[in-house]
Amino acid sequence: MVEEEPVPTSRTAGTVKGTDADPTSEFFDGLARRGHEPLLENVSGTLRFDLTDGKHVHHWYVVVTKGDVAVSRKRAAADAVLRVDKMVFEGMTAGTVNAMAAVLRGAVVPEGSLHLVVMFQRLFPGPPTGFRSSVAADRRRKGLR
Amino acid sequence: MSGDLVQILEGNTFVVSDLRGDIEASLTDPTGLFSFDTRFLSKWMLTINGQRLNALSTDDLQYFQTRFFLVPGTGTVYVDSPLSVIRQRTVGEGFHEELTILNHEDESVELEIRIDADSDFADLFEVKDALAKQGAYNRRVDDDCLVLEYRRDTFERSTWIWASRDATVDEHGLTFAASIEAHGEWKTELHVAAAIASSFESRHWSKEERRGVKPRPDMARGLDKWIERAPRLDCDDDALKSTYRRSLVDLAALRFATRSSPKHALPAAGLPWFMTIFGRDSIFTSLQALPFTPELAASTLRALGERQGTRLDDFRDEDPGRILHELRYGEMTAFEERPHSPYYGSVDATPLYVVLLDEYERWTGDTKLVRELELEARAALRWIDEFADLQGNGYIAYRRRNEETGLENQCWKDSWDSISYRNGELPGFPRATCELQGYAYDAKMRGARLARLVWHDPVFADQLEKEAAALKRRFNRDFWVEDGEYFAIALDIDGRQVDSLSSNNGHLLWSGIVDKSKAKAVAKHLVGPRLFSGWGVRTLAEGEGRYNPIGYHVGTVWPFDNSFIAWGLRRYGFKDEAARVAAGVLDAARFFDGRLPEAFGGYPRSLTKYPVQYPTACSPQAWSTGAPLLFLRTMLGLEPIGDHLIVDPALPLDVGRIELLDIPGRWGRIDAFGRGTVETSRARAKHRGAS
Repeated sequence: MVEEEPVPTSRTAGTVKGTDADPTSEFFDGLARRGHEPLLENVSGTLRFDLTDGKHVHHWYVVVTKGDVAVSRKRAAADAVLRVDKMVFEGMTAGTVNAMAAVLRGAVVPEGSLHLVVMFQRLFPGPPTGFRSSVAADRRRKGLR
Repeated sequence: MSGDLVQILEGNTFVVSDLRGDIEASLTDPTGLFSFDTRFLSKWMLTINGQRLNALSTDDLQYFQTRFFLVPGTGTVYVDSPLSVIRQRTVGEGFHEELTILNHEDESVELEIRIDADSDFADLFEVKDALAKQGAYNRRVDDDCLVLEYRRDTFERSTWIWASRDATVDEHGLTFAASIEAHGEWKTELHVAAAIASSFESRHWSKEERRGVKPRPDMARGLDKWIERAPRLDCDDDALKSTYRRSLVDLAALRFATRSSPKHALPAAGLPWFMTIFGRDSIFTSLQALPFTPELAASTLRALGERQGTRLDDFRDEDPGRILHELRYGEMTAFEERPHSPYYGSVDATPLYVVLLDEYERWTGDTKLVRELELEARAALRWIDEFADLQGNGYIAYRRRNEETGLENQCWKDSWDSISYRNGELPGFPRATCELQGYAYDAKMRGARLARLVWHDPVFADQLEKEAAALKRRFNRDFWVEDGEYFAIALDIDGRQVDSLSSNNGHLLWSGIVDKSKAKAVAKHLVGPRLFSGWGVRTLAEGEGRYNPIGYHVGTVWPFDNSFIAWGLRRYGFKDEAARVAAGVLDAARFFDGRLPEAFGGYPRSLTKYPVQYPTACSPQAWSTGAPLLFLRTMLGLEPIGDHLIVDPALPLDVGRIELLDIPGRWGRIDAFGRGTVETSRARAKHRGAS
């Protein structure tokens, strides 16, 4: 069962306050709209994202076929599963949370084909200009190195 | 100090202990059980009836297994002990220790056997820099198992310790009450498991699971198979034979598989502190080992391709197309206090990636992998022109964007004073070191070959060749030091030559960027008295402002560097000179039991009758391990042409006869023979006269 604990490293970056825009849907809609990702040209497989918000687990499926990308919310067999707090995921889609570091922290839990996961993380954007990772910035504020 | 430590490892899990097998680490002390860059045991201490033990001998059985022979006592030189204690330790997913106690007396004994255990869960980086921990510790007894835990936010690591027989387990260790009859024996197995958990689930070792844990029996067989698969070396020179075997065994120990492709092992950089992917080191080592173990190259290309940069990230010095420098798994990386997730701050790995891909295809004919990695290779080639030209003059240069924790020097000579003018002054940044331009040239030429042959894109091939030719023209004009007749080590930001004479010239020969008309002068320097010590080519020439025979990159001799220099000399037809360099370094290997260190002193051979080792923490180091392999290739003149392997030996006279049997490649398996003809000792004698 999914634990309902706050993830301290999660950020609200990417959410636009005061609007209904949902960065998660936006990210997946964008994927579906583009339909093809040159960076995944040699990749085939299905990824399932289990996004948790403390109450629910939202499932998203991304089917990659030689770079062609389809997004679905219908239950299907997956080659890889990424379990992640929704806020952390939104940080990843905004470039403020690094996927690999989040995996090492245990904030993102990959299962199944890690190759597929490593390839997919190519699609997350880099940090916005001038952005310094939250954790490091916190430490700097506290005067730690 | 490291002489009194014992280390064993498997992948990136390793144990460093004292000669008794005990671990008593302070934060800065590098002993312990480490896995995924985290220390899982900082204390592991065996006592019998409250007494520590003394080491009689330590037997390194395999790189993953060691045996300690101990006796209880006070530490006198000669002991006539009623008891013998044997600890046999095998690294796996944590480690497994078989503890045996023999009673030599005519009557039974009652013993209290105790293992004290603790962990500070330090990140490797913390051990290096003595940093304080942020998270919280916990210790508990879980069903006869001692569990040590560490938690910081969602980051969770734990160590599980249990025994195969009944023990009293408390929060600080395990105690056994043993009764051993006269001339009897007592035994237990101790298991230490390193567990990585996440925010969603704790890693738990149930009693059931624990029972199933056994040391991996196939590890020794795996090593035998590895050696069997490699070509066999038969030769008159026993020292060379044992150097070759040492290299193969060490290379086996240095294999490391990432979690995303656990079946494809690639060479990590060094044992034990650098058991991870380093773009540069993994590529160079794969190149050296290609004629012997080509699968290492394939794994390296796959793993580095998977993690190729795709975005701009200043913290990680990442660009689209850039090949990573170093990957780490510890707490500081997890919390982005260090950029190694992965860190991209090297500028040679990217062009070298294309070089390795082409060289791999030339040996193996594996066009399938070249097709698979077309996207990555093209992105690497694009990176050279779009992201690496920091001086705006068409040359690769480097300057870190992560000013806090990034690397200042992003070429292989990465120490602070490695790049200097003749007068010893240091240039500012960005710096365009010369060997980078050679690698870029080579990458374009080789990329063109692959584009034509495998990607069926002759237009791209033509374009790359045109760019390469232009680069070569400019390079031979801009970097050539007229009054010295060699290539400057770098260009500074003003386009001025950083004009010292260095070993980098050898890499330029290897890359093919050197004009034929200039090659002779360059070769002369490489085996001349300012650069050649008699043991090998110095990193920086005698007479330069910063020259120091024991300076890390400013005078020492690096076996890895020399192996590529020799290859470069051969590329331009300087067979005898190549043999001379090979002979020097291989002679040096005799003084290190066949295991070449990272570097040794640049003192003239006439001055020190043996090579003076540069003190480093890491041994074996992958690209030193690979050096004898590349020397063998170079001395035998092995060159794949089409589906054939050309053999054109130029061996040092002292080496005598060499047979390298069953060389794998696109031709199946081929044998190569050679006999020493090159008088290399004359060169040494001449050098002696000169110095």
